[in-house]
Amino acid sequence: MNARRLGLARLGQYAIVLVVAVSLNFALPRLMPGSPLALIAGVEVGEMSPEERAAVTADAGLDQPLVVQYLTYWKSILTLDFGYSFRQGTPIEELVLERVPWTLLLTLTALVVSAVVGIALGAFAAWRRGGAWDVSSLTVMIALESTPQFWLGMLFIALFSVSLGWLPSFGATTAGADLTGLAWLADVAEHAVLPVLTLSILSIPAVYLSMRYSTLSVLGEDYIRTAQAKGLRPRAVMLHHVVRTALLPVTTVLALRLGWAFGGTVVIETVFSYPGLGRLMYDAVSARDYPVMQATFLVFTVAVLLANLLADSLYPRLDPRTRV
Amino acid sequence: MTTTVSTDPEPGPAAVVRRGRRLRDHTTALGAIGGVIVLVLVTVAVLAPVLAPYDPAERAGTPFSSPSPDHLLGTNDVGQDLLSEMIYGTRVSLTVGIVAAAAAMLIGTVVGLIGGYFPRLGAVAMRGVDVVLILPFLPLLIVLAAYLGRSIVNTVIIIAILIWAPTARVIRAQVLSLANRDYIVAARSMGAGHGYVLWRHVLPKTMLLAIGEFVAATSGAILLESSLSFLGLGDPLQESWGSTLYWAQARGAFLTPAWKWWVLPPGLLIMFSALGFALLGYALEQRINPRLRRS
Repeated sequence: MNARRLGLARLGQYAIVLVVAVSLNFALPRLMPGSPLALIAGVEVGEMSPEERAAVTADAGLDQPLVVQYLTYWKSILTLDFGYSFRQGTPIEELVLERVPWTLLLTLTALVVSAVVGIALGAFAAWRRGGAWDVSSLTVMIALESTPQFWLGMLFIALFSVSLGWLPSFGATTAGADLTGLAWLADVAEHAVLPVLTLSILSIPAVYLSMRYSTLSVLGEDYIRTAQAKGLRPRAVMLHHVVRTALLPVTTVLALRLGWAFGGTVVIETVFSYPGLGRLMYDAVSARDYPVMQATFLVFTVAVLLANLLADSLYPRLDPRTRV
Repeated sequence: MTTTVSTDPEPGPAAVVRRGRRLRDHTTALGAIGGVIVLVLVTVAVLAPVLAPYDPAERAGTPFSSPSPDHLLGTNDVGQDLLSEMIYGTRVSLTVGIVAAAAAMLIGTVVGLIGGYFPRLGAVAMRGVDVVLILPFLPLLIVLAAYLGRSIVNTVIIIAILIWAPTARVIRAQVLSLANRDYIVAARSMGAGHGYVLWRHVLPKTMLLAIGEFVAATSGAILLESSLSFLGLGDPLQESWGSTLYWAQARGAFLTPAWKWWVLPPGLLIMFSALGFALLGYALEQRINPRLRRS
């Protein structure tokens, strides 16, 4: 299959994912037992007279045929009109937009941290394959993969915020401090340290494992043996020949990890009361604010798709061998 | 058989064999550790009523008390004994993990079998698998749980329909390689029906693989259950380790010294059980999966 057809197939697949996500959003509240009014219009059905009920039903478009409702739903999604929050009454786009920068701050910083640490540790472990470092780091990584992320966040708060008093335990800024300029930046950075640390630590194993595996397979290549045979020092071979090539597949893992980190913010931001998208989703679920929950789910889906697209378009640029 | 011994000591392959053996020893050791952890947890779950000093629902002491001889892990915000809660929580966490993984194994095996045996249908089915794999995992889990409501059965169903996809992939790959073997072709040409061949010849050769996948999936299911319960979406009547952490979070236990007996133990239990099943599953996979054995 040539590259263009492969690209089109991928795009088609992403389109299907989006259709599935939107359709789930549409179907779930309508499939649940009881009146969908409570889930879609956010009103207590029991307290209403039949006339009121009919009015609200018509207002929410629920008296239309399902096909019309479905198409109307798509139209509102494509025009980025997510409706209003049950709880706050504000347009959902506004709620989402003010949260996006905070979540991006956490996820992108965590991505950089986990990339640097994971790549360095993974390459080193592969270089010393079977050695004490390799075995012990591998064991730690497997243990980290089994660690519940929210629990790690809670322990960090207990340790760094409460016992040691080094860092703040909640929020993105100090409430009511009214800081500006550098002081504000320092405040934001201080609040981001623990959530970023938690997110990074949990992304490191995936990066580490893929870098270790990729380095191991590059180490077995003929041109590495050539480089060694012509007398290059092991460190030079490692840095200039092995790591450069081994990094290629890891970029894909990193891009996919970005999408994953977005979803992971739901628990992390809940633990740290961080005002990002994940916390927005959690609060929406707790308050039964279904439209907001649905909107955040869609935003997360789009984020994952964008991360996938990024990985797909990045890879052929980095690795000329995959260009057809 | 003596001839094989005398032809053996060629330096190259012998070294490979030796390294292979060392790797296998390592795998066995990890598998044994995983097995012991799983065995201990299952024993605790089965013997919970005998081991637990109190009924976990009973208000057995003063709320928020520190560990004492009466309450080894102290009590929570309504005075329930935390140690008993941990012991009974083993039941909930393991049950959800194991049942969800078993259901996922069933779905994954059926999709993988059909997908591998009928290649055209399989191509379509695998597109479906890809879609499930791309969707953002935790947010989807939360949306489903929010609509379906908080019950242990719903938790199991939601987790199962989210984690079957990788199993389907592994099983399909195995079935694809089996479908063209001589004995399958022979059976077909002698007039055996598709159902017979699948049941009699293909399924037995994929069962072991499916069991390895099942054990590994249990680890993931336990972690997912804990996340869901931590977000307050677990069964309110069946307290798991994740629910304990939800209440610890809601009551700010990690802001006080209580984190040592209220936050630390449930997290460690989640971690150890996920690790135990992951190690056991890894060891089983290494033994069973022909693709892994070759590399």
